[in-house]
Amino acid sequence: MKHSIMVIDDEKIVGDMAKLSLEQEGFEVETFLSGEPALARLKEKRFDVVVTDLKMRGIDGMEVLRTVRSLYPETKVIMITAFANLDTAIEALRGDVHDFFPKPIKIRELKASIRRALGADVAAT
Amino acid sequence: MKTGDILRSFLGLGSSSSGGRTDFTFLFSSFREVLSSHNRAVEKIADMADKLGGDYIFDINYIRPSYEQLRQTVSDAVKRFDAFTDSAHPQLAAAFYRIDNEIVRLVHDAPPASAALVVDLGDISWDMERVVGGKSLHLAEVKNGAGLSVPSGFSATAKACSDFMRYNRLDEAIAQLRSRGATDEENLAALRGMIMQGEFPPPLSDALAAGLSRLSKGCGRPCFLAVRSSAVGEDGEFSFAGQFTSVLQAPAEIDSLKHAYKQVIAGIFTRKAAAYLQRLGLEPWDVRMPVCCLLMVDARSSGVVYTSDPSGQADELVISSAWGLGGPVVEGAVETDHIFVRKAAVPRVVSRRIGIKSSMEKGVSSGGIETVDTPAGTADQPSLEDDEIIRLARQAMTLETYFRRPLDIEWAIDQKGRPFILQARPLKTGKNGEKKKTAAAVLPGINVLMKDKGSVVQRGTAAGKVFLAKGPDGLDLFPRGAVLVARHDSSEFIRVMPYVSAIITDTGSPASHMAALCREFRVPTVINAGDATRLLAPGMEVTVVAGEDGSVSVYEGIERELLEQPSGVSMEDLYEFRRQRYLLRYISPLFLIDPLTDDFRPERCRTLHDILRFIHEKAVMRLVERARSASRRQRAAQLELPVPAGIMAVDMGGGLDIGEGRKKASIGEVASVPLRAVLEGMTHPGVWHADMVSLTAHDFVGSMMRMPDIFSDAEKFTENNFAVITKEYMSLSLRFGYHFTVIDCYCSDRMRNNHLYFRFGGGATDMAKRSRRVDLISFILKEFGFTVMIKGDLITARLANVTMEDMKRILDQMGRLLAYTRQLDAVLHDDSRAELYARRFLKGDYSL
Repeated sequence: MKHSIMVIDDEKIVGDMAKLSLEQEGFEVETFLSGEPALARLKEKRFDVVVTDLKMRGIDGMEVLRTVRSLYPETKVIMITAFANLDTAIEALRGDVHDFFPKPIKIRELKASIRRALGADVAAT
Repeated sequence: MKTGDILRSFLGLGSSSSGGRTDFTFLFSSFREVLSSHNRAVEKIADMADKLGGDYIFDINYIRPSYEQLRQTVSDAVKRFDAFTDSAHPQLAAAFYRIDNEIVRLVHDAPPASAALVVDLGDISWDMERVVGGKSLHLAEVKNGAGLSVPSGFSATAKACSDFMRYNRLDEAIAQLRSRGATDEENLAALRGMIMQGEFPPPLSDALAAGLSRLSKGCGRPCFLAVRSSAVGEDGEFSFAGQFTSVLQAPAEIDSLKHAYKQVIAGIFTRKAAAYLQRLGLEPWDVRMPVCCLLMVDARSSGVVYTSDPSGQADELVISSAWGLGGPVVEGAVETDHIFVRKAAVPRVVSRRIGIKSSMEKGVSSGGIETVDTPAGTADQPSLEDDEIIRLARQAMTLETYFRRPLDIEWAIDQKGRPFILQARPLKTGKNGEKKKTAAAVLPGINVLMKDKGSVVQRGTAAGKVFLAKGPDGLDLFPRGAVLVARHDSSEFIRVMPYVSAIITDTGSPASHMAALCREFRVPTVINAGDATRLLAPGMEVTVVAGEDGSVSVYEGIERELLEQPSGVSMEDLYEFRRQRYLLRYISPLFLIDPLTDDFRPERCRTLHDILRFIHEKAVMRLVERARSASRRQRAAQLELPVPAGIMAVDMGGGLDIGEGRKKASIGEVASVPLRAVLEGMTHPGVWHADMVSLTAHDFVGSMMRMPDIFSDAEKFTENNFAVITKEYMSLSLRFGYHFTVIDCYCSDRMRNNHLYFRFGGGATDMAKRSRRVDLISFILKEFGFTVMIKGDLITARLANVTMEDMKRILDQMGRLLAYTRQLDAVLHDDSRAELYARRFLKGDYSL
């Protein structure tokens, strides 16, 4: 079965590029432009990994993280952000998120991070 | 006039009175500042091109601050350059603001600044997609870039459409519809009706009439137009195939052109087009459609070429062909001839299937298209001759190489048998690329020519025959699809960029102009491979793998297994990706190539890279000029050489290792890296032929041999041979007899800053001998990788981006060359001697 990835970012290009490159790796990808529909979808379906922007209008990355934590403790969350102050953010989130990426995100590193999040079973796919 | 000034004027050196040490020290430090801001900007461009190249997920929040930084850096370089040159190039700032304005508009999603309403295809350049749309742009590239025939035509621009809409208050109607989100047929039909009723603003009306008149002039028969949509992105990332309206065979007169124009504009506002646009994340309200107007080809046969067989062999192309106009072929409405051609240096027909073409489309003399039966006896005949097939195949391969991807090409052959390209767009294969095989999987049995040498500038896999570039001039013979192997990287390579499969250089810099070009054109490129020019023999077939992980392998032979198959979907297919990285078009390509042509001026700068190239070139020139005229009060010493060269060294800092007050220096005391290397070459045993001196004009020999006594007469040395130096820099002016030489060189451990500028002119003997000497010197310079320009008996050559060690070696050779060629004219009795002596020189044989 394909692993499922959710990508949330209010910049369309982020979802588009992530979807294209992750689908080429054999993942199933759903993208969302804001937190609200993403949380609604999360209530219907469990994803293996959620990649979310930190700063978004309305429901932000922190709220997505809290929701994922409460619904699916085993789902890994990868946080991305366009904004500086990375150190503070990492500190705040240490232990809570699987990984943290500032934009621009090197696609190869994102893929590697997702593979790590999914464990050794996807190394060969 | 003093003797010194008379001689200065004779030598073209300008007045001797300018420039003290402080002035020149200041000038020199300003020069260094210009160079370093230039370098920072080039590095920033390389970084942005990398981040927006498809390997990173980015968004506008990355682009805005990044561009702001780049803009500051370039602005800084422009300002420093302006101060350095005393505002000698006031147009440069204007060029920078013009380009910056275009980029800022892109960053803030504003429409392009171009005010043109109509642009002829021949005047459309690569960066005008937002002005003329995709279809016109691609046709212009086929014509202007790939050099193939397309029908004559022009584009009515996006601005023409905006003006038309505003003039008829259609934007107000659109705003209402937009606010209601109303894309129902009733509202759209009303809008289309308003468009068809619309009047043309007088300037647009005039521009269309003028465009039409230019078209009709070259037609020579009753001619007709094809008027088609040319949306931004059309024929590029999206085909928009069949979504918008095309009007074919419209009589070439203004009223029918205007009517057709309105039909095309109205075609945006159909249910079908609106739905299609919305699927791409666009709204019909936002579209300001450029329109492409072409002369109809009086087609005998028409059809389509897929440059890669979508269902089979990637190395075969497929031609579909039928009689008459191409509509039925594109729509699949009739049986067609199918011809499969193997793509090779000499294309070969692999198989063909002749269809029964019972009907065809042709133009009606009163306008419009009709379907008729094919003339008796022609339905089962091939619609293409063999030589036409090969010609079409060659053109298709040219285009595939030019656009660097498999294409879907529409073509027509007119009644006289002349082929025209009507459209070229990316071929969508509709399937994901297979996982490409790794080198390891196919390694057994493959001969590895080069492994893990050099660094990857642009990754990718490519194959072709090795072409060893001696210098830019040899590029005229560059075969399409070859692998370019050279000692140094050079921005001159842009001339072959559309045809080159891969580039490998012995040395080079990842931030060089060439590296930026390779990224822009996505040419697999490896630099600093060390001895690629030795390992890879000219004509040898090789496969180059510049790996994603930075690994480099070159295999013998063309290994199809390794070559990446074009994937069905790529980043370039993403609308947002294309849209957001569009600004790179104004940043990274390089158009200002040759500093010795009229085009090398600020007005011709199209990109920030062009601006930087201009700055670099002109800053160096400026320093050379100023160094030559600043010479009086600096710390100076006469060089004590074992040959009578009579050189005065003017030290600006770190160039001489002599005690205070000493006025003479031996070679050993010259700390300037470039001067030291030249002197060592000049004094190399055997290169200085004292016995040949008597062969030249006697009086000038006297002046050459004279060692100026600067201590008794400070004026004198300024007329003679001198070098302005620092530890890493040298501006050397020499005059031996009638020969006049300038070498300007920066030689440091920062390869990217290194340059060597060489000028040689004059001569006492007759013009035939002078031109032979020019031949000899340019032959040798090209062997060392110089870009060489010859005007009369003046040679200008330059070399950049070489390592310190290479530069020292080349300077040593320059020193030898200067000594060797002093009296060479006397022995160059016929043309063949020039090459003979050049070859001898390169072998270290300096006998005359």
